[in-house]
Amino acid sequence: MEISFEEFIVQRITERNPLHSKKIRKNLKRMKGDRDFETLSKTFYDKYDAYLQRSAKSREFAVDSYLKMIDDFTVETVRFGETGKYSSTSFAEVNARVYARPEVMEYYMHGLLLTQFIWVHHFELLKFYSAELTRVPGGNKKYLEIGGGHGLYVNLAQEILSGNWSFTVLDISETSLLMAKNFVQGSGVKFVHADVFTLPESEKADLIVMGEVLEHVENPKELLVKLGSMLSNDGRLFITTPTNAPAIDHIYLFRNTQEIRMLIAEAGLIVETEGVFSSEDCAVELADEKGISVLYSAFLRKE
Amino acid sequence: MNREEILGAINMLCGDVFDNNAVNITENTTALDIEEWDSLTHIQLIVAIEKHFKIKFTSSEITGFKTVGEMCSCVKTKLG
Repeated sequence: MEISFEEFIVQRITERNPLHSKKIRKNLKRMKGDRDFETLSKTFYDKYDAYLQRSAKSREFAVDSYLKMIDDFTVETVRFGETGKYSSTSFAEVNARVYARPEVMEYYMHGLLLTQFIWVHHFELLKFYSAELTRVPGGNKKYLEIGGGHGLYVNLAQEILSGNWSFTVLDISETSLLMAKNFVQGSGVKFVHADVFTLPESEKADLIVMGEVLEHVENPKELLVKLGSMLSNDGRLFITTPTNAPAIDHIYLFRNTQEIRMLIAEAGLIVETEGVFSSEDCAVELADEKGISVLYSAFLRKE
Repeated sequence: MNREEILGAINMLCGDVFDNNAVNITENTTALDIEEWDSLTHIQLIVAIEKHFKIKFTSSEITGFKTVGEMCSCVKTKLG
């Protein structure tokens, strides 16, 4: 009998990167007690398995992509430890290094997708997002996602939001759009290859979702202001962004969660609800104090 | 600096990073032998070794170390 995707992941990571497998085993042990974990992860892995098959890719490819990304993170984190800064500071740099290189984008996107059910803080974030989506009022509404990445957020939104929603995903990377398109598959989502700054302010949306984009831009305040201007009167903006998370394409460094809250306020937005998760098994306050990465997320509205 | 001195210094750094002075590493020690040695402390150890010896590991060295002995060899080569 074929082993489960999760067992396969643990097995391959143990073979290829035993040190990292320690962390993954600990993470899985922590998540196993969660009653939503089994159901959500099974649905996800079934979908991902099918996607890999459709794309003529294997589970080995998926895990090896993840491990390549982990190697990148390790190197970037060592450099961050030496300098206290992210290694890239301009969009042009990361564009040349990552976005303009489909082969890098591909392993990076698959790597990130795989983190969702093997990293505790990513799973917690997904649960928070899913739970909050159930509270979004239905109606004839528009969902707009900026930087759709792998397509998981729009996929959950389609499953959870009630009412008659139209879904649009915008990304500057064609590789990313293609991946999201294949992951979501045949579900009436409009995928647009464009920069959000080219959209007119008259293009209002009722729910704007932007997962892990703020750290990729030179001026995150300008981006938040732009998104605020595109929200309908009672619209909501969901954002996520990490602190102290060196990566090959991160350029804007938030040193603690307070810096993110300040930026939100400066952009004229108000926090409705927050989900804040430490990347290590410790309290967020301690992580903030020690410079350990924290994943911040919030539903925002206009002032 | 000879190999034994390098190993001694790395042992001391391991004690600090793992917050466990009872740690006693040999050249054959791997991360799997020490409970406190995980992805996070691995990075802290690499940074501590670089700072202590005033050297810089390359990307492939950082991700390629399998044993403490390999770390010692790499440090020795860089110190000349």
